[in-house]
Amino acid sequence: MPRLRSVLEEAGEMVLLTGRTVVAALSPPYPYGGEFVSQFLFVLRLCWFPLLVSTVCFCYGSVGLQAADFLTIFGALDRLGGIFVLGAIREIGPTVTAIVIAGVAGTAITADLGARKVREELDALQVLGVDPVKNLVVPRFLALMVATGLFDVYALLFGIFGGLVASIQFGQPLGPFWANLFANATTTDLWGSILKCTLYGAITAIVCCYKGMSASGGPAGVGRAVNQAVVIAFTAIFSFDYVFTQTLLATHPQILVIK
Amino acid sequence: MNELLAMPRQWLETAGEIGLFARDVLAEVWGLRVMRFFGESLRQAGILIVGSAAIIWTLMFILGLQCGIEGAYFTAAQGAPSAAGLFTALCDLREVTPLAFGYMMAAKVGTGIVAEIGAMRISDEIDALEVMGISSMTFLCATRLLASWIVLPFVYAAGIGAAFTASFVAVVRQVGYVSSGGYLLVKAMVMATVVVLVACYYGYTASGGPVGVGRATAKSMVLNLVLVHVVGMLGTAVFWGGNARAPIGG
Repeated sequence: MPRLRSVLEEAGEMVLLTGRTVVAALSPPYPYGGEFVSQFLFVLRLCWFPLLVSTVCFCYGSVGLQAADFLTIFGALDRLGGIFVLGAIREIGPTVTAIVIAGVAGTAITADLGARKVREELDALQVLGVDPVKNLVVPRFLALMVATGLFDVYALLFGIFGGLVASIQFGQPLGPFWANLFANATTTDLWGSILKCTLYGAITAIVCCYKGMSASGGPAGVGRAVNQAVVIAFTAIFSFDYVFTQTLLATHPQILVIK
Repeated sequence: MNELLAMPRQWLETAGEIGLFARDVLAEVWGLRVMRFFGESLRQAGILIVGSAAIIWTLMFILGLQCGIEGAYFTAAQGAPSAAGLFTALCDLREVTPLAFGYMMAAKVGTGIVAEIGAMRISDEIDALEVMGISSMTFLCATRLLASWIVLPFVYAAGIGAAFTASFVAVVRQVGYVSSGGYLLVKAMVMATVVVLVACYYGYTASGGPVGVGRATAKSMVLNLVLVHVVGMLGTAVFWGGNARAPIGG
């Protein structure tokens, strides 16, 4: 049982770190402005290209082609726009964004903080009276939340572009696609998608910062920390996704009516 | 202008190096030179089963749940709720399981390999292997590739089971079955091979102390994610572009 116990301890420590981060973010002084901007730009620079390729590929292949096949059977190919509300906006957009952010920016954050931990820079900061949570974790936490939420919009645009390509491949005029897309899309879908993504960003930031700050054990330690961080982040994101989707669908039954 | 071109040039260089590296490792496996270290392959296979199988199944299970709820709502809206099983069959079997499998391969197995081999490179263990007359590429990379080929088809097959169970739980309807497992295994195995090769490359060429290992791990993750998506899309387009091959309504 020691293994289960350490897993529970780790989960508890992550919750504690979340609490400390929120408190440190809200209580003055606010020294993290510059670091926030630089982290935000860092995430932006690192993620835009992988995200572009991933969303177009996923929405064209998995959603576009498969759904178009499926709808051809019913003879209702003009409904492809409707499934893109469901597929791209509600599920694939946020999920792919979260995976890319966790896999690309999250791993970079863990590697960065882990290296500082191993080189004892974090301890040095504490000796200097600088709080690592306030100066390192909070800006990353905020930057990742904002960046993931904004990247979601970008993922939706490129996801729908993938859908357009699939439509064209099936020799379908684009008018019905747009008509169906806008008939089915609701504001609830959009804010649900962006809220979900923002929370994914928060989860990723906490898991990756925690793993980076608790790295130990020499050269292998940092690599191992990155490995564990990305596994925990993925699992946490998908588990959260299931709960969030169920809650959203149950509390807003009107978005289930496909027009 | 030079600065603008520096980045694509660097990407191309890395792509070429990975290609050469992959060719070498594949040649080691193909030429059966890896059989000299078959014991090591089996050990790696054991590590894969004990360390990674459970987490891969967990992720596939969760994504199967997602497929189930979305599928139930989508088909209900088309006026064909009893076809929810078909939707999950397409969704689970063709798309989500290979992708979930690819993600978890990249996250768990890929980064694990980079961290392990990278640490060996940093602490000069790889050079020590060469000095002892053991081909480090065969011993470290080819054995891992062979191990993943041995184990992963079974892990994947069991994972499909996990995803379907999950969709069944979510849909609570009869699950329609569409025979396409064979193609699928191809897609997932291509992903697994790509992930292992990229990870071995980044681990094998890690440099720059403890920090370098972490950075190499993060970099391999970026490339693996993009490649998993590209392989997924190509697989779909090649196997099912324009024909659903689903047995309903003619």
